[in-house]
Amino acid sequence: MIGITRHAVYLPRHRIEREKIAAAHGGKPVLEGERTAIGFDEDALTLALEAVQGLDLPACGGIYFASTTAPYLERMNAALLATACDLPEEIAVADFAHSLRAGTVALMAALDRAAVGGQEPILVVAADVREASPESPEEQWFGDGAAAVAVGREHVVAAAKAWASVSDDFLDFVRRDKDERITSFASRFTVEGYCRIVGRAIARVLEKSGLRPSEIARVILPPLDPKMATRVASELGFRAEQVQETFLDRVGMLGCAMPLFLLSAALEQARPGDRILLVGYGSGADAVLFEVTPLIEGYVVRDPIAEQLRRGLRFPSYERFRKAREYFRHHEEGPVLSNVFYEKEEARTIRLRGTECGECGLRQFPPTRICQRCHSMTGLREVSLGRQGEVFTYTVDWLAASPMPPTVLAVVDIEGGGRLYVQVTDVEPSEVRIGMRVRLTLRRLGAGGGLYHYYWKCRPEGGEDG
Amino acid sequence: MAESLKDKVAVIGIGCTKFGELHDKSLSELMAEAALAAYEDAGIEPERVEAAWLGTFSPGFGGGKASVTLADALRLYGKPITRVENYCATGTDAFRNACLAVAAGVYEVVLVVGAEKLRDRPVRGLQREGTHPYLEAGSTPPGLFALAANRYFHRFGGDRHTLAKVAVKNHHNGALNPKAHFRMEVTEEQVLAAPLVAYPFGLYDCCPTTDGAAAVIICRADRARQFREDPVYVKGIGLAVETGWPFFDPTFEYIGFPATVAAAAEAYRMAGIRNPAREISVAEVHDCFTWTEIANYEDLGFCKKGEGRYFIEEGRSALAGDLPVNPSGGLKSFGHPIGASGVRMLTEIVLQLRGQAGARQVKNAELGLVHNLGGPGSVACVVVLGR
Repeated sequence: MIGITRHAVYLPRHRIEREKIAAAHGGKPVLEGERTAIGFDEDALTLALEAVQGLDLPACGGIYFASTTAPYLERMNAALLATACDLPEEIAVADFAHSLRAGTVALMAALDRAAVGGQEPILVVAADVREASPESPEEQWFGDGAAAVAVGREHVVAAAKAWASVSDDFLDFVRRDKDERITSFASRFTVEGYCRIVGRAIARVLEKSGLRPSEIARVILPPLDPKMATRVASELGFRAEQVQETFLDRVGMLGCAMPLFLLSAALEQARPGDRILLVGYGSGADAVLFEVTPLIEGYVVRDPIAEQLRRGLRFPSYERFRKAREYFRHHEEGPVLSNVFYEKEEARTIRLRGTECGECGLRQFPPTRICQRCHSMTGLREVSLGRQGEVFTYTVDWLAASPMPPTVLAVVDIEGGGRLYVQVTDVEPSEVRIGMRVRLTLRRLGAGGGLYHYYWKCRPEGGEDG
Repeated sequence: MAESLKDKVAVIGIGCTKFGELHDKSLSELMAEAALAAYEDAGIEPERVEAAWLGTFSPGFGGGKASVTLADALRLYGKPITRVENYCATGTDAFRNACLAVAAGVYEVVLVVGAEKLRDRPVRGLQREGTHPYLEAGSTPPGLFALAANRYFHRFGGDRHTLAKVAVKNHHNGALNPKAHFRMEVTEEQVLAAPLVAYPFGLYDCCPTTDGAAAVIICRADRARQFREDPVYVKGIGLAVETGWPFFDPTFEYIGFPATVAAAAEAYRMAGIRNPAREISVAEVHDCFTWTEIANYEDLGFCKKGEGRYFIEEGRSALAGDLPVNPSGGLKSFGHPIGASGVRMLTEIVLQLRGQAGARQVKNAELGLVHNLGGPGSVACVVVLGR
C-alpha cells in the first residue's frame, strides 16, 4: 500500500480583513471574511519549512517542493529546505513550479517514486505567496499558506488508489519571467474551461478505479474563482455535500498549496473507508483517488487548521499588509556575504548544529571546541539542536532597525539542550513572557549580495501545547 | 600568588572636556583639550611624557583607530603610544596598561587619554560593527541589558519604578556638575512617562550618546610628591573577561555579571579591601542603563545579590548616603563617550579624593572605586584609588 502517511498545513499568522483591502481602494469586498497574509520576514520557502516541520518526521527519503512563488529561480529551493531540516545529502530533492497544479504534480511524482520502490517517505510540500495587482479581486481572495504530506508505504492513513492527469495549455492565470504579479483572465469562460479540463481528469481516474461520482465521500476542488464552488461541483456530477469546504472566507486561495491544504482539511475529518478525490488544476488537471485507512483513527493532528485559524493576528492597516509583502523587493541593505563564509556558516545558521559535551553533557551553540561549562576538550560532538523551546528572558526593543518595530528578542532554552538568542516573530509584544513556549522558524533576516539571508527566529507555540 | 599594584603608581594630573553634543569639535581637538588640561594640572611640560595609551572604542570620522590619532593631536612623536579597545571598559583598560608599565619601572611619567566622538556618526547609538551578520541580528545595547533586567525582575522582583529611582538620583547629581552632558533634574513620573526604548528601559533609563575626552597623567608613586602635594594612589586594579555571547551560554543566569565580580575580587585583593560596602567612600560605576547600576551594587559587593533595589530605594547610593554612587551624574547624566568614560570616571574619583568636587563633594572620601562594564556584560574593569 502506498499513500499519505502524515499531513500538516501552515498558515502564516497574519490576516487582513477583505473590508480593509476594499476600503483602501474605495470599493466593496469581493468575498466576506479575511485572508491569510505573510509577515515581512516570510516567503513561500519559510512557509513550506513550517509545514514540513509540522509533519514531525525525523527522517525522510526526499523533499519535493512545489511553488509558483519560490524565492529562488536558480538555486534548488528544496535543497535549502533539506539543509534547514538538517537532512543528510543522500536524499532526493526537486522543485516543482510554474502551475497551480505543481502541488499535485509533485504529489504524483512522489506516488510514482513510491510505487517503484524508491526511498521513502517523500515529503511533498507546496507553498505559495502569490502577488496580484492592488485593487484586483485576486488581491482580496488569494491567501498565503503551505501544506505538506509524507508519501510512503508504512503507516498509510490514506491509500492512493489511482491517479491521472490531462495536459491543456488553457489561459486563466499567467505570469511571465519579467512580471512580478499575475495576469488574470478569469471570467465565466475560464470557469467553463476549468469544468471541462477537471472533468476529463476526474473521468480518467473514475474509469481506472471503476467508481461513480456518488461513491466519493469528499471531492476536493481548488477554486478558480471566489464564488464557483457549488456550481462547478454540480456540473461535474457531485452533490454539494460531497464537496470539501474551501475556507475562502478565512484563508483564501492558496495557489498551488490549495489542493494539499484541502486534502489535509479533508483528512482531519475523514473516517476509515472514505474515498477522497483530490483535484489539482492549472495548464491541465490532476486527479488522485485516496481511500482512508483505519490508521486515521489514531492519527493526531498536532496543529489543526481550526487552531491555526484561531490564532490570527490582524494587520492594523492595508498599508502594513502591503509593506509586509513588498519590503524585500526594495531592501537589499543586508551584508554581502561570500560563499566561503556562507559555506562555513551553514552548519550553525541553517542546519542549527551545536555541540554536546561528552564529559558534562552540556549542549551549546554555536559549535565549540572547548566545553563552556567543564572546559573539556575531548569528546565534544556536533549535534542537531531541537526546534522547540522556552523563553528564558526577553526584551521588546524599539531601537533596533526593523520594517515593523518593535523587535522582540528572546534568549530561548532549547528542548533537549542548548540556548539561542533569537528574534521573536508573529507575536504581539504584550503576549511575550518568561516561560512562553516557542517554536523555531526560519525567516528572512535580510537580503544583499544576491541572496536572501535566512536565519532562525522563534514564534509562539501553536496547537495543543500553546 | 600574583603581586599587587598597591601604592606603586600615582595620578598626578587630570583633565576632562565638557561632555555633550560637541558638534563643533573634532576627536583630535577633544584629545588635545583633555591632555593639555592634564599637563597643566600636573604642572608638567609635554616633554616629560615618556609613553601614552589611547582608549577609543570606535574609529570615527577623522581617526581614532590607531595610536597616530593621539600622536598627531598632541604632536607627541617618537614615543611609544598604544591604542586600547575593550568594549566599554576601554578607558579603564588603557589606564590599567599604563599602570602596569609604570609599575614595571619602564617609564616614569605616562599619559592616558580616553576619547570618543559618537555624535559625528551617521546613526543613533552604537553600530554593531564586527558582530556576526545573523547571530546577533536585532541586538542593541539597551536590548542586551534589558534581557538581564527582565530576568532579574523575574527572580527578585522590582520594576520600572525601581529603575526610575536610579535615573532620578543620577540626574540630580549631574545637575550639580558643570561638565555633565545633562544638567537637569528629572522626576520619577517623567522617567516612567518617557517613550520605551527596550522594555523595561525607557528613554531616561539609558545613557545618552555623547562626545568627550578625558586624560590622566600617572607616575611612579615614589616620585609623585615631586609633582604635587596631594597625589592620588592606585590601590588595586582588576580586569576580567567573560563570554562575549552570554545569550548563548546555558549556564548564564542573567541576574548580574561575573566579569564585575571577578574584576572586583582582583582589585580588592590588591587593595586589601575586605568589606567594600564599609571601606569604599565613593564609587563611579558603569550605569549604561539604570538596571546596570543596581546589578553593579551587588556584583561589586556593596550589598547582597537581589538586594540592589533596596540599596537605591533606601537612598544608600545617594550623594548623602553611606556609599554615594556616581556623584558625577554617572554615564546616565554625565554622558558616555565609550573610550572616554573610564578615564573620565577616574578624574571624578581623583577630584573627590582631593576634595575638589564642589557641590557634589562626598564627605571624607578616602577610598574611591571606578568600574566599567563592556559588551553584553562581558568585560569589566575595577580600579581602586586612595589618598
